[in-house]
Amino acid sequence: MSIHVTGTVERKGFGSGTWALVSTDGETYELHEAPKELRHDGLKVKARGQVREDVMTMAMIGPVLEIEHYEILT
Amino acid sequence: MKRLLLLVLFLVGLGWALMNYQGLAAQGTYDSLILDFREDIGAAQIENQVEAIAKTFNASLRYNSEFSFDDHIFVVQGDAKLLNTLKRSGIKQYVEYIEPNYIYHAYATPNDPEYNKQWNLRGINIEPAWDESHGKDVTVAVIDTGVSAVPDLENTKFVVGYDFVNDRADASDDNGHGTHVAGTIAQSTNNKFGVAGIAYEASLMPLKVLSAGGGGQVADIAEAIRFAADNGAHIINMSLGGGGESQLMQEAIAYAHSKGVTIIAAAGNANRNAAEYPARYPHVIGVAALDPAGSKAPYSNFGAGVDISAPGGLINGDNKLGGILQNTVNPETGESVFEAYQGTSMAAPHVAGVAALVRAMGVEKPDEIEDVLTHSAIAVGDDELNHYGAGKLDAAAAVKLAGHGKFSFRDFFRWLRDNGYLNPKFWIDGGVIALWPKVLMVLGSYLLAWVLKYYFPFAWTGSLATGLVMGSSGVFFLKGMYLFDAPQWPFRLAGSAIPEMGSAMQANGLLNPFTASVLIPLGLTLLFLGHTSLKWFAVGITIGMTVFLGANVYLNPALMWIGTGAIAQAFLVVNALLCLALVRLVLKPGVSST
Repeated sequence: MSIHVTGTVERKGFGSGTWALVSTDGETYELHEAPKELRHDGLKVKARGQVREDVMTMAMIGPVLEIEHYEILT
Repeated sequence: MKRLLLLVLFLVGLGWALMNYQGLAAQGTYDSLILDFREDIGAAQIENQVEAIAKTFNASLRYNSEFSFDDHIFVVQGDAKLLNTLKRSGIKQYVEYIEPNYIYHAYATPNDPEYNKQWNLRGINIEPAWDESHGKDVTVAVIDTGVSAVPDLENTKFVVGYDFVNDRADASDDNGHGTHVAGTIAQSTNNKFGVAGIAYEASLMPLKVLSAGGGGQVADIAEAIRFAADNGAHIINMSLGGGGESQLMQEAIAYAHSKGVTIIAAAGNANRNAAEYPARYPHVIGVAALDPAGSKAPYSNFGAGVDISAPGGLINGDNKLGGILQNTVNPETGESVFEAYQGTSMAAPHVAGVAALVRAMGVEKPDEIEDVLTHSAIAVGDDELNHYGAGKLDAAAAVKLAGHGKFSFRDFFRWLRDNGYLNPKFWIDGGVIALWPKVLMVLGSYLLAWVLKYYFPFAWTGSLATGLVMGSSGVFFLKGMYLFDAPQWPFRLAGSAIPEMGSAMQANGLLNPFTASVLIPLGLTLLFLGHTSLKWFAVGITIGMTVFLGANVYLNPALMWIGTGAIAQAFLVVNALLCLALVRLVLKPGVSST
């Protein structure tokens, strides 16, 4: 089941670093294999994707979101 | 025959202890030399010589401190080579001595130059732990992004691992995370390079399950856990988490646990109430992170699934001093870098490293290792949200607890040294006194104390050791000392065991039944039972006297007024048993006054 998330891309400093999407309602998603175009700190994004229950990460900052479609807002 | 066997055992043990004794060897490092110039040669001559040395050896001498002027004590940078050259040179006639300026350490501080930045290692009290264990012969599997052989892992042992992401044997790291985690566990230490690791004599098993991006599939991780269990890993570190509950992973963890593997996992970095999987599965020790001040790191998960806490660091913008510093690879270039990271990922390998130290002490079952770690942790009061689990990881206390009830030659040797038994005088004058009965009594009282310690755990204290010596043998080499124009009886008295004191003044071989009985132990016990440290002195004396009286049933059953033979033997047996009963009574839980 896909979910829609609108928020800001942030670089999180855990381990060697990882990309997160912090939604406007405060939930932090860890981006799974973040698309190159989204790898910019502070980017506002509207995205659709799947939460991957079968993936674990070194950053452990929240649900792992695999983006299927996105729209850059700024 | 039995005595011969004991003697052989004792000598083997002593030889072993001497070979492994670091006390004298460890002081042998220096990087500068001391020169003490003769006072009678005058300031001008000294100045000439100082200049001559500076010119000839390209070395500049300086006064050690402002207090060195009067004694003309100079210090010069130099090694063994310069020391020998100087000693052979013409300077020798102008100096009283030239000697190494030994560097003294309170504990074995590693010589890794960046060790001073590892606040986290001092934070878990690692130095006293290193006195006892380095994790030798323990294998730690690092289930992570892989481990690359960076320069500061040069002396670290590796066993065969696997890359489950790319399905190949080479499990090198293309992210940096796994190598960093492996460094905390077993970075090469005392190699005069980089930083230190906790269990630096342990072997690493690199298992790559996370891609360069830092994520990985539950199926790969479960396989890696089984691989570790099947290939001889004793400890698994998983600095990873997330996802949902997985039957596959839970079974893999149960399998590894059943094969005796201790499993440690990070709690997660979402500042969320409850640890992530796999930390929250049964049989997994979940680790929360501490900041440099020892408080919960702001990102650390807490609550259910957190079993213990350890340093995870806190990086404040560009200031990385609060992070955990290890050698790893730069993910962009693949080159070796020393980098500070933060996260519960960094906290978990602290626990895995200490678990390896504990296992190397002989505690092998995973549940027992977990017990040792949690019981030795520094408990945190008012921790209502379970930020810290059982408390903050304490390596020294864990290793000490693991050593309880274990016969350690290190203990024995330390005790011999502390009590003067290794004084050369003891060996030279051995003929004056009945040496071997004394040695047997020392050994016997130590063994008895050890047996008692096993059943009624107590701390090994100085007053206990003093009591043991005084009760069993006295500082007996003193008996062989003679000083000109001084009466010998004070030495004889000091060199006597308490039971011998009743007749030591007269220097006859008979025992005084008042001192060679349960009377003195009983009196001391009643007197000192309420005192925290003197109580152990009384316990030591009672244990020592038990052995002394018991041994004399065979060795020398001769008492003043009572005579020799069966009556004297019966007297000694009864009193030895009464002493033993007394010790047991004092050590029995519930009688403790502390």
